Amino acid sequence: MEPDSRAFERNALKALSDKELQDALENAVGRIEARRAAAVASFDGFEAARERASGLRRETLSRLGDHLARFIEEAEKRGAVVHVARDAAQARGIVARVAREEGVALAVRSKSTAAEEISLDDALREAGVEEVETDLGGYVARLAGEPPSHILSSAFHMTREAVSRVFEGKLGEPPAADAATLSAIARKRLEESFSRAGMGVSGANFLVAETGSVVLLSNDGNARAGALLPRVHLVVAGIEKVVPRMADLPVFLRLLSRSASGQPLPSYVSILTGPRRDGDAEGPQRLHVLLIDCGRSAILEGKYRDALKCIRCGACLSACPVYGCVGGRPYGWVYPGPIGAVLTPLLAGLSEAAALPDASTLCGACSDACPVKVPLSAFLLELRSDTRFQGLKAPAEIAWAKGYASVMKRAGVLEALERILGELSRLVSKGHPLSGMPYPFAGWTERRDFPSVARRPFRKLWKIRRGARE
Amino acid sequence: MDPKGPVSASLFFSCSADAFAPDVCFAATELLERFGVKVGAPLSQTCCGQPAFFTGNRKEARAVARKLLRSFPDDGYIVTPSGSCAAMVHDGFPVLFRDEPRTLAAARAFAERTYELSRFLVDVLGVTDPKSPFTGTVTYHESCRLPKGPKAGAADPPRTLLRSIPGVALVEMEEAGRCCGFGGVFSVRHPQISCAMTERKIERILATGAEYVATADMGCLLNIGGMISRYGYPVKALHLAQVLAGAPRVEEEEGPP
Ligand code: SF4
Repeated sequence: MEPDSRAFERNALKALSDKELQDALENAVGRIEARRAAAVASFDGFEAARERASGLRRETLSRLGDHLARFIEEAEKRGAVVHVARDAAQARGIVARVAREEGVALAVRSKSTAAEEISLDDALREAGVEEVETDLGGYVARLAGEPPSHILSSAFHMTREAVSRVFEGKLGEPPAADAATLSAIARKRLEESFSRAGMGVSGANFLVAETGSVVLLSNDGNARAGALLPRVHLVVAGIEKVVPRMADLPVFLRLLSRSASGQPLPSYVSILTGPRRDGDAEGPQRLHVLLIDCGRSAILEGKYRDALKCIRCGACLSACPVYGCVGGRPYGWVYPGPIGAVLTPLLAGLSEAAALPDASTLCGACSDACPVKVPLSAFLLELRSDTRFQGLKAPAEIAWAKGYASVMKRAGVLEALERILGELSRLVSKGHPLSGMPYPFAGWTERRDFPSVARRPFRKLWKIRRGARE
Repeated sequence: MDPKGPVSASLFFSCSADAFAPDVCFAATELLERFGVKVGAPLSQTCCGQPAFFTGNRKEARAVARKLLRSFPDDGYIVTPSGSCAAMVHDGFPVLFRDEPRTLAAARAFAERTYELSRFLVDVLGVTDPKSPFTGTVTYHESCRLPKGPKAGAADPPRTLLRSIPGVALVEMEEAGRCCGFGGVFSVRHPQISCAMTERKIERILATGAEYVATADMGCLLNIGGMISRYGYPVKALHLAQVLAGAPRVEEEEGPP
């Protein structure tokens, strides 16, 4: 997927003026955030689990190469075919080759951010493979021709009415108002695809090194069906998804599920350990695992390593007040919200996505919500500083910063400036708050007043009232 | 530092309180003096560097932060009425000076002595009742940048103090801890998103029917107060210090400038 993050501001304004989107966001984000907060509050060991999970992720990342080698060895031992791609183009080449060699005509796919990252649909199209998205939200978003808005649920941003309109327009279904009818319509269409598909494509929530297993979680069962029914299964996963031992899983499952949907555990946990063996009742006959690097090794070596701890639960999205206002679209790539504002610059390039780290109040709600303690706010700040070093800041901003520092280096200069601004604002507003300010503050005062500088700032009054005593 | 014996504290004004809300600093002073603190106001201080730090202009932020470190006496507490200024010292300085061991050590020592006002009252002075004559219904907006972390003593000093004022009825708003949309430079760069967040905050405030909304951060106060002022909403924004001290009158008429 090509990033479109430069247009953050434009798309955010669009989102703010879209009444239907605003309703959907308030509803969906509000609901999921309430459930998450309740699930976390009712989980006694939350802090301890968080600490443990964060430690485990850290430890794993510090020896990622070893764990990955172990995973590959064990998976291959059990009959899986493992591929490693350096970048998206190479990954697409591998996908196309697998599809062709396996003779696939139709593929069913469940929601996978890794697949979105490499634009897997392009690869399948090139290989002449028809592809159906089976995640309900993703299915709807795809029909509507819209980019995904959330890392867990692609149609997070659509109301039931909007979904009904899409089904009417694209599928010729009669209008329906309730969620059950709408999902039944989608399911009926999807079932048929499952039975015809030659290949299932999914992401992975975890890769277990000691057994070479792929762990898939889902709440609607589509990922499970997609992994078990078709003859071939292709897993696309970032190299950071590995956990060393099976025994590490429970803490992650608990945290991920509560943080994502508020459920104590996910509805479906599928663990694929190699393809179907003699005597197995179900499972794919061929299992391919495509591990993508796509910039992750570079992150691993640098100061943002902890960003790879992310287990893609989406908690930071629902907790983020900015995401709550504008939704996922303005972030412009695979990962929206706070983790997107960190990962997009790191994976797709800071020059593409320098707007994203700025689109945060740094309130810290994301860092507080993260079940594996990714220091999201600190990283956003760090990225803002990187833009200066990489020459990506507007000259006006740098000039402002220099001016600010030269004023603040001497109290006398600040005092003089306060006097001038005070006089000016009294000329304009007679001591009342300012209802308009010049560029770049014009937007600030569109719906807010700004106080005018006091006739006597504190330091002046202090001298008057208390003499020169400090 | 031993809080026994006379406690002295230097007021760290917050440049925005200095310029826009001197009352807030006087309220803080009054409050501290009420509990026997000898209050000083080092007049050479300017700003903590946060505006440059938040925009990623660290070189300039460092210059301003160094100036702050130099502006205070070497001992005694440092108390600020603005949560985010304290947070800058606690969380920002260690990042700014991570490659300068000597300044880092000085910054850490400085942070050790630095407190947000309500936390200082509760954790250091052991105040449980601020002895405020304030009366009215108050709702409290939790600033996101009240320092958490290492100085976390009493869980929630602002609420502890507000609850013990006999004339104050504290009415909790929904989502009290949700950001009001200020975010410093964010509110300049993304005024529309910022205002959408502020509107939501104002809705929650108005829903309580409280006469006052109090907050312990200058940024939140400018932001929330600015929207209230624009639309004439029936609620008044005050700094927590003003409620705790008992809202001193605006004294603009004193002496020639
Ligand atoms: S950064 Fe943390 S909160 Fe956000 S998606 Fe990743 S694990 Fe979840």
